[in-house]
Amino acid sequence: MPVIEYKCQSCGSGMVFDSETETLSCPSCGRKDNIEQIPDPLKQQVFSEDEAREYHCTSCGAVIMTDPETSATTCSFCGSAVILSDRLTGSLAPAMVIPFSVSKEEAMKAFKKWCRNGLLTPSGFMTADRIKGMTGIYVPFWLYDLNNQVEVHAHATKVRIYTSGDYEYTETQHFDVYRKIRLNYVKVPIDASEKMNDALMDKLEPFPYEHLKEFKTPYLAGYIAEKYSFDDKALFPRVKDKIREYIDSYIASTVSGYTSVSYTDKQIDTTPKQAKYCLFPVWMINYDFHKSDYTFAMNGQTGKVVGKPPISKAKVAAWFAGVFGVSLLSLKLISWMMGGGFL
Amino acid sequence: MKKHRSTMAVLALLVMFAVNLVLPAQVVNAADDKQLIFDNAHLLSQEEYRELNAMANEYGAKRETDIMILTSTNPEGADVQKMTENFYDEQAPGYDKPHGNAVILTLDMYHRETYLAGFYKGEQYLDDGRLNKIRNKITPDLSNGDYKLAFEQYIKTTYKYMGFKPGVNPDNIMFNIWFQLGGAAVIGVIVVGIMAYRSGGRVTVNGWTYEDTSTSGILDHQDRYIRTTTTRRKIEKNTSSGSGGGGTTSGGHSHSGSRGSF
Ligand SMILES: [Zn+2]
Ligand SMILES: [Zn+2]
Repeated sequence: MPVIEYKCQSCGSGMVFDSETETLSCPSCGRKDNIEQIPDPLKQQVFSEDEAREYHCTSCGAVIMTDPETSATTCSFCGSAVILSDRLTGSLAPAMVIPFSVSKEEAMKAFKKWCRNGLLTPSGFMTADRIKGMTGIYVPFWLYDLNNQVEVHAHATKVRIYTSGDYEYTETQHFDVYRKIRLNYVKVPIDASEKMNDALMDKLEPFPYEHLKEFKTPYLAGYIAEKYSFDDKALFPRVKDKIREYIDSYIASTVSGYTSVSYTDKQIDTTPKQAKYCLFPVWMINYDFHKSDYTFAMNGQTGKVVGKPPISKAKVAAWFAGVFGVSLLSLKLISWMMGGGFL
Repeated sequence: MKKHRSTMAVLALLVMFAVNLVLPAQVVNAADDKQLIFDNAHLLSQEEYRELNAMANEYGAKRETDIMILTSTNPEGADVQKMTENFYDEQAPGYDKPHGNAVILTLDMYHRETYLAGFYKGEQYLDDGRLNKIRNKITPDLSNGDYKLAFEQYIKTTYKYMGFKPGVNPDNIMFNIWFQLGGAAVIGVIVVGIMAYRSGGRVTVNGWTYEDTSTSGILDHQDRYIRTTTTRRKIEKNTSSGSGGGGTTSGGHSHSGSRGSF
């Protein structure tokens, strides 16, 4: 039976993770259990590969309808929090988790505040009263530790311009530049879920790593959790791509004081030290506005909201007119101070 | 809807403002016009003369300076600068008083030469350099025989240049209304563009976020000097095509000037 449910030892109700106290808590009687002290039932279970892939709710017996990627959800009939344990074991066992610290109510409040602050969003949107759904999802991420050996050769110049007599001289000094750098990155996150928009997930960073906990299933109780769609090897090119711009800017910072630098040879040797499978908390918000759907994501620890809101043409025009007017007035003032006429 | 209306109001104001800058009010008061154009060489038709004289009166009044034109067939073959100075001494023009503020464009059709002179306020605001600029602007039209066009250009440019404090370059791009409008529009587009771009949230991490500073660093570096190359370029001297400059009339009136042929 690969389904885990946490039953309250006092009253028998289903227990869920409470983001405020970071405990497994019972919504009926208020009992709170410390997660660190609960024996994780995952550790005792062994599954055979060919086990029938049908899950039944342990409370009501109904078949649990899920996507193949889902590892935690709620029973659509009785609402119990269920965890599909075979999707969290073996190679699918997460190493770490950042639990939710923003509750659903707080997330709702923070989202409404964010909407109100949108300078270009239509006023109708700002009231945020069209939230269709708000789902707390543990999104799978790979955290890569990467060691980089960097060797670069560059041709650099220093240019000095001076005048002497009737001539203007341009003096260019040429340099051969060489740098050997060791550059190590730790816990670079890459989202491993096919469903999630990569650009959206990248903007959610940073995730506060001081809240990383050793993975325990009770953290998932009451939330949706996904398992990874791509393993760490498949996503290695993406993380390499992601750190490439970090490496480039690091290299540039070590070659300073020149007028121009052109790299003749850049060798970056990236070795993955380890990749840890982690679950990060994300609130997904579906919003319906003028018959279009908008999706926003919120970092479940920091409350940072990302996603493209609709843009009001009237507000764009108003802001443009305002900035245009102020700029024109400033330019006029500058020209007037330089001795030109104001009109 | 209130926001819409205020936007429209701001836009309308800006358009009015811009139009105002480009076209000075065209109020013609033909009855009070004094004679500022002395077309002794008969280069203009009656109609053209009336139009230009009215224009010179109108623009000159705003700068408190008589903007004048003198044309001559010059049968005696007199010197164009001397002609201009004598004209000023004898006619005693001036916006404020006889022998007062004036700018004179003289066309000597005999030698095909032009001379531009500025007196008093005209001299103060239109130094030799500015007069050279004006003369260079109108010379092509004069050469083509488009006298009316050249005179219009002369009146407008004189009016425009006298709006700038003495000593500054009137053709500085900062003073150009199209540059100002364009610049303001570019700033507006950039600011609103950034606002729209950032409305969806932005990446707030960089290499520092994930760098393991304790084990990262430069292991080896070298900056080897190879050689120096030097190129030189002759500095262009500002050679103006005109010559002459200003002087003082026999009557003792000092003036700026610019001379050239067409
Ligand atoms: Zn209970
Ligand atoms: Zn159920």
